[in-house]
Amino acid sequence: MRSARACLASLLGSGGMIVLLIVLTAAGTALVQPRFFNALNIINILRNAAILSVASMGQMLVMVAGGFDLSVGVIVALASVQTALLSGIIAGWMPDAPILALILATLLTMVTGALIGSVNGAFVSVFRLSPFMVTLAMSSVVMGVTFYVTKGIPIYGLPDAFMNGIGRGMIGRCPVVVVIAVAIVAAVIILQRATTLGRHIYAVGSSPHAARVSGVRVRPLLIGVYAVSGAAAAIAGILLTARIGSGQSTLGGTLALETIAASVVGGVSLLGGTGRAERVMLGALFLSLVANALNLLRIDSKYQTLVLGVVLIAAVCIESLSGVRRRHD
Amino acid sequence: MPIRLRSLPLAPLLTAIPAFVVLFGFGMVAPDVLTTGNLWNIATQTSYLAIFTLGQTIVLLTAGLDLSIGMAVSYTSVVAALALVNVAAPGLAILAYLAAGVGLGLVIGAVNGFFVAIVGINPFIVTLGTYNILFALSSTVTGGFPVSDFPPLTSQILVDASVLAIPIPIVISAIVMAVVGFLLRRTVFGRSLYLIGSNPSMATAAGIRVRLHTLGAYLLCSGLGTFGGLLLSARAGSGEPNIGGSLALQTVAAAVIGGARLRGGKGGVLSALLGAFFITVLSNGMNLARIDGYIQQLCIGAIIILALLAEQISQNAERSS
Amino acid sequence: MAGGAHLLELIGARKRFAGSVALDNVDFDLRAGEVHVLFGENGAGKSTLINVITGNVAPDAGEYRLAGAVVPHMTPRLARDSGLASVFQEFSLAPDLSVADNLFLGREPNRVTFLNARAMRKAAGEFLARLRFNVPPEALVSRLSRAERQMVEIAKALMDPHARILILDEPTASLTDADAEKLFAIIADLKKRGVGVIYVSHRMREIRQLADRITILRGGRLVATVPAGGVTESQLVELMVGRPIGDLYPKINHHPAEVRLAVEKLSSKDGRVRDVSLNVRAGEVVGLAGLVGCGKGEVGRLVFGLDAIAGGRVTVDGQAVGRPAPREMLRSGVCYFPADRGQDGLAFNRPVRENASAAALDLRAIGGGGLLRLREEARRVQSVLQRLSVRPLAPEQQVVQFSGGNRQKIMLARGLMRDIRVYLFDEPTVGIDIGAKAEIYALVRDLTEAGAAVLLSSSELPELLYLANRIYVMHEGAIVDELSGENKTEAAILACFFGRKQSDSAAGSRTAA
Repeated sequence: MRSARACLASLLGSGGMIVLLIVLTAAGTALVQPRFFNALNIINILRNAAILSVASMGQMLVMVAGGFDLSVGVIVALASVQTALLSGIIAGWMPDAPILALILATLLTMVTGALIGSVNGAFVSVFRLSPFMVTLAMSSVVMGVTFYVTKGIPIYGLPDAFMNGIGRGMIGRCPVVVVIAVAIVAAVIILQRATTLGRHIYAVGSSPHAARVSGVRVRPLLIGVYAVSGAAAAIAGILLTARIGSGQSTLGGTLALETIAASVVGGVSLLGGTGRAERVMLGALFLSLVANALNLLRIDSKYQTLVLGVVLIAAVCIESLSGVRRRHD
Repeated sequence: MPIRLRSLPLAPLLTAIPAFVVLFGFGMVAPDVLTTGNLWNIATQTSYLAIFTLGQTIVLLTAGLDLSIGMAVSYTSVVAALALVNVAAPGLAILAYLAAGVGLGLVIGAVNGFFVAIVGINPFIVTLGTYNILFALSSTVTGGFPVSDFPPLTSQILVDASVLAIPIPIVISAIVMAVVGFLLRRTVFGRSLYLIGSNPSMATAAGIRVRLHTLGAYLLCSGLGTFGGLLLSARAGSGEPNIGGSLALQTVAAAVIGGARLRGGKGGVLSALLGAFFITVLSNGMNLARIDGYIQQLCIGAIIILALLAEQISQNAERSS
Repeated sequence: MAGGAHLLELIGARKRFAGSVALDNVDFDLRAGEVHVLFGENGAGKSTLINVITGNVAPDAGEYRLAGAVVPHMTPRLARDSGLASVFQEFSLAPDLSVADNLFLGREPNRVTFLNARAMRKAAGEFLARLRFNVPPEALVSRLSRAERQMVEIAKALMDPHARILILDEPTASLTDADAEKLFAIIADLKKRGVGVIYVSHRMREIRQLADRITILRGGRLVATVPAGGVTESQLVELMVGRPIGDLYPKINHHPAEVRLAVEKLSSKDGRVRDVSLNVRAGEVVGLAGLVGCGKGEVGRLVFGLDAIAGGRVTVDGQAVGRPAPREMLRSGVCYFPADRGQDGLAFNRPVRENASAAALDLRAIGGGGLLRLREEARRVQSVLQRLSVRPLAPEQQVVQFSGGNRQKIMLARGLMRDIRVYLFDEPTVGIDIGAKAEIYALVRDLTEAGAAVLLSSSELPELLYLANRIYVMHEGAIVDELSGENKTEAAILACFFGRKQSDSAAGSRTAA
């Protein structure tokens, strides 16, 4: 299909830079630590990259539309807690169908994520508040609720099938989590390239004035985009919970930073209007490789946040100094 | 001529009223709130928060933001404490404490200011990055452990002393407010900040050194923040890697409630002080009413959103009047 | 031809914004198949009237009828659906999307789901070709020139086959001569099909060529609606201005002395100014004319140091300036006033006093040693505001509360707070009322006769013709000609707009009325 060819072209074009970064990082790590090529290590990297990609899809769409979502990390935590809690409660009502209970729980969790996102979107589009501040404040609100409910204690009781089937499951030689993530990324790619809605999202980020005047319904679109971001974060939280095996309110601490970094590395502009899903996925892969390298080199995991911060600032500097986009005259 | 909803002196004073309402409200629920001891407590806590909020307000004046202020406070708290406990002579140790803390704070401010003012990157992104970098540094520098065993002289000078029966933290805070207030109202630097925040391209066209002054704002913010952090650590008696955890949101909430605008050009000492008072009364009341700490976090977030809405509504009213 | 059924009627429209009346009881109607020109200077209310018609702005009072039926609340969406298409000065194109994407934005063939990008691009290409606009459909808008963007804007408005009313706001401001002719051909075709065109302009040439009727607005009020054949140019200008020309434009006695500002082969990094050389002497006003986008606005910015210089030299009072920067230029006695006072000129939520003194903070008397001398500042600001007749004389009020004319004066105030000998004005009277304009022209006269060197860049030809001693005309970044004395005529300037020097054009000069 033509889209597939265009997709490949963008991956290799100026996205070639990211591919280069990925290859260099992988090669560099492998040279110092041959354990890099251990099958389990590779699978680990792919799983992490997959989960980060899913959350980054939401962040990317919000950034393309001209905003930011700092609440993704907190939504992940809430999703984790909610999935575990709800699946336990619903399983109590239907003890013979724990899987069904789990499915219902995950659906409700995704809906919650979407709702939180919609509230963010409403504040941003209807009341014209700063996306940074709104999502930051909202994350404080949601965090308060999440911690209040759990008091920081993990919630157990998830069915084993969840962890084995999804968290650790494989289809052939490919982890289930990766398959799910690829499916989601593919859906977003199609959205961006081949649908009217995708086109409209670019338009709103590029020039909200032009979009409005052309008849695009800007407000519902923005609310929808933030809702998608919330839902994506919730999905990422569910997948993460499947890996860990319990509902934890401490998850997602640096996710906002990671998703923004993955997007910027993947070529999304801070000003909105540009960004491609396939490149952001590569950005997520790059960040996962870096984190993995730090692990293999036995560097304290706390330093990962430091490296993340540096990567973000560096990526943004590069974008700004290369004068990537000239706007209106 | 349409009547103005808020002119500068009025807005912060408008904050004082709800603050007292909240105070008496909590007083009815938890009688401990209105004891003399607690009121002094509130005054002291306010004076710490006011210093932090003042730093954030200064950056807000330029239409910027410093998310990293809390982590800067945490990191410098630990590092300065290391200096304090490792220098033998107590007097010298305290000097080393202050110098190391504020010095490091200025370095952090310079880094923030460089990327925002010179390179020109969105301050939210820059300070989000430095927030995380400093978080990592503060959790690893002593393996995450606090640094205690402060020499007694520290609390004697910085915490327990009093001037004319007023606790020293309040006195220090008042002096800081006065000095910064003078800076904002009576110097070219202060004036430039207001103009830069109100319209940066106008400021450039008027020959104002926008980049230099913006850099200065971030330096001042970190300097004030870390200074306040040193006072706070002295009170706690140890350098804590978590001491500044929620400061980013608290200072923004306080600043905005007091009347500073996210879009820049509005705010000052009075707004920082009254905003800090409001937030302190709120969290003090919630503590004494035994409301869960997590609910307090929720409230801070809700307050910010409400304050943002209020700012937006008043701006809309201005435009169409 | 003209004079068909009423497509649109506006009766008694009123609109008030903060501090000023934008529309005061204006009637307007449009018939099928006519070109109805909306005529008036900037600030007369044309934009507001158009915004009311397109539903961007809700009027405070007035009746709106479309094809005879009353419309209680017009919105942009309703306007579009009712067959109104408009082309404005601020472009409504998304810079990161392609031309084809922009043309189809909001009217994609498939409302919700899959697009056929190739088909869209092909259709867009064919449409552009039919209009004879030379723009590739796959190009990104951010890479197009201003003229190309204007063409895409016009094409976009014409995309709707059901459009009954087309609104064009100064469409030829950025077009070349040849492209303008293409536009006129399109308009003629639309007229035949019964489409009504509202054409906003104050260019005589176009009005003569296109108009069936002309509505003149002044100060928010309707002055008259006349058939185009029944009014001469000089009558039009006097109707627009509202007073005999002599009253508005003061006589300036130019006594050109030494060269204060000299610019040699100045070029900007972004290519908008190329090899410009000019000079301004003490005691004279030098004009800078040209179409939108010709670079005349950028010259002042370059000289003052607001934009990056790629080559050339700037000399002030004989001293070459190494790398111009606003602070240093102010110290050398040069002051630049930006065109868009809203964007670059004023800090709206700060008091007048702070705005007025903003460019004087490094003077020892006001901000020596970094400390402000508030009393001296207040004293100086008060006297400057008085001299400029800023009303109300309230230096502590926020700028946002003042009318356009007074805002402009407040911006100009900063040039009077220090010793300035070279004034660079860029569109100084845009969007302000006649009274304020006359006062600003009087200020220019006073400054010039006191020995200042004034460079006046403006899109208003009468302004330049009456005030300037000499006029440089620019076209696509370069200076085409320098006109003075007998050669300083509207026809000569217009000829230069399209790149022809006055000596090239056929004989037959007409002085502006």
